[in-house]
Amino acid sequence: MGIDTATLPERPDVAGELLAIPAGWDVREVEQFLYKEARLADENDYDGWEALWTDDALYWVPVDGEGDHPLATVSVIYDNRNRISTRLKQVRTGKRYAQAPPSNLRRIIGNVELLGGRGNRDGGVDLELGANFVAIESRPRGNELWGGRTTYRLRKFGDEIRLVYKKVVLVDNERALPTLGFLI
Amino acid sequence: MTDPVVESEFASVSVRLDTDGNSVRLRLEDLRTGRVRHLDALELETIIWLDDGRLTQLLDPSHERWRG
Amino acid sequence: MTAVVQPAPVATGQSRYSQLIRPDQVHGSLYTDPTIFAEELQKIWHKTWVFVGHESEVPQPNDYVRKQLATQDVIMTRDRDGEVHLLINRCAHRGLQVCDDASGNSSSFRCPYHGWTYRNTGELLGYPYNKGYGGKNKLELGMGKVPRVASYQGFVFGSLAADGPSLEEHLGAAAGEIDRLVGLSPEGEVSLDAGWLRHRTRSNWKFLAENETDGYHPQFVHGSIFGVTGSPIGALYSDSSTAVTRNLGNGHSENDLRPEFRNFAEPLRWFGTTPDRVPQYVAAMQESYGDDAERRLIEGAPHVMIFPNLFIAEIQVFNIQPVAVGECVQYATAVQLAGAPEMNKRMVSQSIGSVGPAGMLLADDTEMYERNQRGVQMLDPEWLDVRRGLQRESIDENGFTIGAATDETGMRGFWQHYRTLMEAED
Repeated sequence: MGIDTATLPERPDVAGELLAIPAGWDVREVEQFLYKEARLADENDYDGWEALWTDDALYWVPVDGEGDHPLATVSVIYDNRNRISTRLKQVRTGKRYAQAPPSNLRRIIGNVELLGGRGNRDGGVDLELGANFVAIESRPRGNELWGGRTTYRLRKFGDEIRLVYKKVVLVDNERALPTLGFLI
Repeated sequence: MTDPVVESEFASVSVRLDTDGNSVRLRLEDLRTGRVRHLDALELETIIWLDDGRLTQLLDPSHERWRG
Repeated sequence: MTAVVQPAPVATGQSRYSQLIRPDQVHGSLYTDPTIFAEELQKIWHKTWVFVGHESEVPQPNDYVRKQLATQDVIMTRDRDGEVHLLINRCAHRGLQVCDDASGNSSSFRCPYHGWTYRNTGELLGYPYNKGYGGKNKLELGMGKVPRVASYQGFVFGSLAADGPSLEEHLGAAAGEIDRLVGLSPEGEVSLDAGWLRHRTRSNWKFLAENETDGYHPQFVHGSIFGVTGSPIGALYSDSSTAVTRNLGNGHSENDLRPEFRNFAEPLRWFGTTPDRVPQYVAAMQESYGDDAERRLIEGAPHVMIFPNLFIAEIQVFNIQPVAVGECVQYATAVQLAGAPEMNKRMVSQSIGSVGPAGMLLADDTEMYERNQRGVQMLDPEWLDVRRGLQRESIDENGFTIGAATDETGMRGFWQHYRTLMEAED
């Protein structure tokens, strides 16, 4: 019953194969990009954050560890570029009560590892990397501690780095999570 | 793909890891009669630990199948 | 520290709950008083039929899945003969949790502490070094069992009371709403096997139960997403809507949106799509139901709250379980219709967008529940108002009380049944 996963494309986290780290990437440059992405999210700079994404964006927060096939089972977030845009439009109304007022946030990113390359739809190879994070969120409800591991895929357009893929595996995603209104 | 078969002149049983359940099971099929049994991990472990004498008792044809 | 505002002392001859629950108002302490919560566990959650899960979560013989029944960790099992059981996850020896994984397949469970082993029906199968107990089969012990387990269209309910109304009696008219949902499958069957989102909510469970058929809030709480997506849902809950709020009895209620959809007479409008987008599904429905397929596709899925914890929100199913007086968990999943793969993918995708901790609808509802919980700890006014539409209620052709789309008819039905259960003698 439900959806036969044999009829679906491969799940996006393992689709294709992990290739060698593509040439031309410097770890310091990559870290600077991650810190910038984190700061834009922490400071609720929705325009700046949205501008980081490519058109074939995928923003995924699964449940139950690495998650099951995201087209056959539910995830906390599984946004393509279009849905990222809807999510941000909603929060920009100022009436997205789960994020109005916005959370006060700061996160730390570490353990950055370049993992390899991943073929993309344009025939190029994106950089795949992993990093750990801890975030403190403060809201009238109280403070929340969020932590996990993120897998990113990045692509270069000239000198500019853009975000293609972000999968956030929360350490406690097998348990009940509080409202996640901010950009994780 | 054909499942592996454990076979002798006396019996013929196909073996498969079955993932239809909420965790993996061993699916066994008696190819001579079509009878199927699934064994879960705890049952398999139990069989491994069966005393040889107990297993031999189970092989007595009048024990289950031809109780007469 | 939770402030509990206590009402005036109970007058003689009046029950506590008749004083806290008026036809048009309910007292704030109902949401904040831990002694009331403790009494609710006894008189509601450990007594009435509570939704636990769905048979499709244990599709194969010997499958099991861990579920929650109020504060109880239960294991839903399917035995080798296909029967579904609800075991309490506690070893009869030293009280340890027997199953640790969220799900699996096993005909028997072995406690990790001393190896006591149970069949998946709860009976004790054996224990190591049996001479210590005088041999095999000497103990009349087993895992605890939810004494009454019943299912309706695959929805599994448990009652911790050995006696009481049957599930059919409890569901009453709400059963027809489950039938409506199932009737949207060409095979007349749904499954809930697309996984569950778990949303921790710092609010009393009753705020959720009341909100589920509150047609007054959507334009306010969900205005942000309706505006951005151009969703027509908001209009269903406007003052000019022809939809009705119905008290289905036994604490159940619905927002019956069919009058609106019948006016539009557009198949699948309720799902925000058109037949040409899901042609195989429409063909399969016509194949199964002939001329009646059109009506089903126009009228759509139910929006029904089944007391105390099952909410069917068209294409999502919610299972609400209390944790403490000020905390509960919402479990949410996408409905999957047997024989409708085109629909199922869309239902998963829409559900991810709408519900769960980051859902563009439910995160905002949840924010309201949590603010509500903080609000009712304020001292004045002590009461919450549930009178909206009281003066314009009527009785429909089946004898049910109905109100307008935005009326609090459903809440009043909830409180009526709540009061009956809380006042019942043990």
